[in-house]
Amino acid sequence: MRKNVTLILLLAFLLIGSSMVMAQEKGGTLRFAMIDTPPSLDQQVITSDLATIIAQHIFEGLYTFNSEYAPVPMLASGSEVSDDGKLVTINLREGVTFHNGKEMTSEDVVASLERWGEFGVRGPVLFEYIDKVEADGKYSVNLYFSEAFSPWKSMLAFINGGPVILPKEIMENANEQPISPEEYIGTGPYQFNEWNTGRYISLTRYDDYAMREEESDGFAGQRMAYLDELRFIPVPETGTRVNGVKAGDYDYAQRMQGDMYESLKEDERVEVLVNQGAQFGELFFNQKEGLMTNTKLRQAVLAALDMEPVLQAAHGHPDLWDQNGSIMPEGTIWYSEAGIDKYSQGDPELAKKLAQEAGYNNERIRFMTTTSYQTMYDSCVVIAQQLSEAGFNIDLQIYDWATVATRRNDPEVWDFFYTWHGFVPDPILYTFLSPTYPGWWDTPEKRDLVGQFTKTMDQQQRAEIWSQLQEQIYTHVPIAKTGDTYTYDITSPNVKGFGQTSLIWPKFWNVWIE
Amino acid sequence: MLAYTFRRLLTIIPTLLIASILIFSFMHLMPGDPAAVMLGTNATPEQVEKLRVQLGLDRPIYIQFATWFKDAFRGDLGDSIFFQSPVLSVIQNRAETSIFVATFSMLIILILGIPIGVISAVKYNTVLDQLTMGFAMLAASIPTFWLGLNLMILFSVNLNWLPSSGFPSVVESGNLNNLKYLILPCVTLAAPNSALIIRLTRSSMLDVMKEEYVKTARAKGLKESIVILKHIFRNAIISIVSALGFTFIALLSGTVVTETVFSLPGVGRLVVQSVLRRDYPVIQGIIFVVVILYVFINLLTDLSYAFLDPRISYE
Repeated sequence: MRKNVTLILLLAFLLIGSSMVMAQEKGGTLRFAMIDTPPSLDQQVITSDLATIIAQHIFEGLYTFNSEYAPVPMLASGSEVSDDGKLVTINLREGVTFHNGKEMTSEDVVASLERWGEFGVRGPVLFEYIDKVEADGKYSVNLYFSEAFSPWKSMLAFINGGPVILPKEIMENANEQPISPEEYIGTGPYQFNEWNTGRYISLTRYDDYAMREEESDGFAGQRMAYLDELRFIPVPETGTRVNGVKAGDYDYAQRMQGDMYESLKEDERVEVLVNQGAQFGELFFNQKEGLMTNTKLRQAVLAALDMEPVLQAAHGHPDLWDQNGSIMPEGTIWYSEAGIDKYSQGDPELAKKLAQEAGYNNERIRFMTTTSYQTMYDSCVVIAQQLSEAGFNIDLQIYDWATVATRRNDPEVWDFFYTWHGFVPDPILYTFLSPTYPGWWDTPEKRDLVGQFTKTMDQQQRAEIWSQLQEQIYTHVPIAKTGDTYTYDITSPNVKGFGQTSLIWPKFWNVWIE
Repeated sequence: MLAYTFRRLLTIIPTLLIASILIFSFMHLMPGDPAAVMLGTNATPEQVEKLRVQLGLDRPIYIQFATWFKDAFRGDLGDSIFFQSPVLSVIQNRAETSIFVATFSMLIILILGIPIGVISAVKYNTVLDQLTMGFAMLAASIPTFWLGLNLMILFSVNLNWLPSSGFPSVVESGNLNNLKYLILPCVTLAAPNSALIIRLTRSSMLDVMKEEYVKTARAKGLKESIVILKHIFRNAIISIVSALGFTFIALLSGTVVTETVFSLPGVGRLVVQSVLRRDYPVIQGIIFVVVILYVFINLLTDLSYAFLDPRISYE
C-alpha cells in the first residue's frame, strides 16, 4: 500500500513536472493591443515609448540595465577604463549574429555609435565628450574622451533614443531620418517580420539568437524567445483594449485608465501589471522671458501647490502614484531628500506672501497644457485651480500636443507649461538639465554642478552632487515635479513569465502562453 | 448626356485646386509641426529643427504647395512624414476597410431603411407607424460610441460570437471569414443612418401620396401595390437617392468614432491621426482623393435621376 502511494506520488510529481516543462515550450502568437502606432522603430533617432516597447525585442545595445537599473553588458563582454578616464575600451561578445546572418564586429559598433553620435536623439550629449570612436581589432572598440565622462555606460545602456547596434552597411548611409523597415536588422531574440500599416507590426522569433548565459535580471541576462510571433496591434480606445483581452482577441493590453484599476484587479478574466518605471509630471517655467523669470514668483507658485489632489485627479488609485518630491524615485542610488521640504507645500498664504515680495500684481500668467494626454490635462485643471485660489491670474491655454511642442520653443508666448518625463536611469538624461530645452535653465551654479556631475567617476560622489543639484531645483525652481506615477497594463491569465517585468517597458522575452 | 458628364468632370480641377489651397493653408496656419511630434516629448529644439530641414518643412509654404500640387496631378501624392511611405499606398492600405465598411453599412441601410420607411408611410398614423418612428428616433439618438462598445460587450465579451475589434485584410489573405470583423462596426454605423433613411423615405412617400395623380391611379382601380411602388415610391425616390449618395461619401471618408471604437484601419481614423501628427502630405492626399470621390458620386447620383425619372434629362 505504502509502495503504491509512493508510486502514485512519484507519477503525480512527474506529471506536474512534465506539464511545467510543456508549459514553457515554444510556440504561439502574443497579440499586444497598444495605444497607437509608433512613427518608426529606429531607436537611435526616436524616443517614442511605443517604438521602444517593440524595438527592444529586435535591437540591442552594448549595455543594458539590470533590475536595479545598474548598467551591465549586453552585446559587450566587458570594458576597461584608463586611469584618467579618457580612454574606454569596450570588448565585444564573439559569435553574435545579426538577423541577416552576418556576425557583429567592431566595424558595426563603430558605424552605429558614429551615426547615433551625430544624428541620434541622445547621442550628441555623450559625443560632446567623445573625440573619436575606433575599432581595435575585430572584437574591441575604443572610445576616446576629451575629458572624463562618468555616465557613459548608462547612456550606452539606455535603449530609448539610444545606441542600438545595426550592421555597418545600414548605419553608414543613415542620417537623422529614421531608417526604413527593411533595414530593421538587429541582434535581438525577435526579428522584424512585417509592418502592416494601421493593422499591426509583426516580429518573429530569431532562432539563431546568441543568448547571454547569466540569469535574467531586469533587461539583462538571458532573453529566451518562447513565442513564435509578437504582434503589436494599434487599439486606441481603452474600452476596446479591455474588451479585447476579456474576449480573447488580445493577450496583452497597454495603458489602462486609473479609474478602471479597482474593477480590473477584481476581474478574473484579466491580470493587472503595474509598470514600475516611474514617470513624473513637471511644470516647466519660462526663465528666458516674462513673469516667470522672477525666481521669487516661481517659488510662490511652488509654495501654492498641493500635489496629492493633482495626482489623485489624474491617476486615481493610490497604487498608481507616489507623492514623492525626490526627482529620482526611491530605490535608486539617486534618491535624495535635499530640498523636498519645499515640495507639495500647498500653502496659499505663503504663496501670496512670496508673490507680493516678487512684485506680482495680478498679471495674466499663461499656462500651456494639452488634451492629447488625458492625465496631463487632468493634472493641469487641478493645478490651475490651486493657483487661482492662491491669488494667481491663470490663463489656462489648452492645445493639442503638437501645438504645445511648437509653442514652447517661443519664449514670448508662455509662462509655464506642463509635460511629463519618462523614467531615466541616470539623471544626466533629464531634459531640464539641457540649457536649450524650453525653460532654459542656465545658471552658473547649475552649470558648475552639472560639470562636476559628469566628470566625477565615483558613483557615490556623483549621487552627492546630484543631491546638490536637486537642492538647486527646489531653490531656483526651473521645474516643479508633481510626483511619481505608474502606468498599468492588463494581460490574459494564460500569458506567463512576467515575473519582475515592466521595469520601464513591457518585454516579452522569457514570456510564454500556456 | 455625354457633354454634361464631361462638363461636370471638368469641375474636378477647380474644385481640387480650391480645396487643396484651403486645406494646405489651414494646416499650415495651425501651430505645431510633424518633426516635433515624431521626435517625442523629450526632443530638444535643435533636434526638431534638424529634422524639419531634412523633411523640407523649412521651405516657404507656397513652394511646398506648388511642388505638392504639381506632383499630385501626375499621380504622386508624396510621402507620408509619419509612415515614411508613399501617401497613395498609405491611403490604399486604409481604403480596403473603408470601402468594405461603407458598402456593407449601405446595404444594411438600404435593406432596413427603405422598406421600413415605405411600410411606415403606407401604415401612416397606425401603431406600426408609431413603433417604427420610435425605433428610428432611438437609433438616431443613441451615440455610436455607446452603441459600439455595448454591442462589443454583448456579442464579443459575453456571447463570444464575434471578434471585438480589428480587421485583418480580406484582399491580402483572401480569407472571406475576416468579414465577420465588420459585422458589429457596420451595424453600429448603419443604425443612425438607417433611421435617417427611414424618416426620409416615409416623409417623401407621404408628400407624393397627397398628389392628384395618386388619387387618379387609385380611381382607375389599380392594385394598391402598383400604386405604392410604381406611382408613389418611384416619384419619392429622387430625394432618397440624393441622401444615399451623401451618406455613402460620409461613410467612406468620415467614420472616425466607429473606426476608433472597433480599431478599424480606415480612412477616417487616418485623417484624425494625421491631423494630430501634422502629417501634411497624408491629409492633403486624402482630401484630394475624397474630393474626386465626392465629385464622381455626386455625378453618378445626378445621372441616376435621369434613369429614375424620365422627365429629367441632361443636355
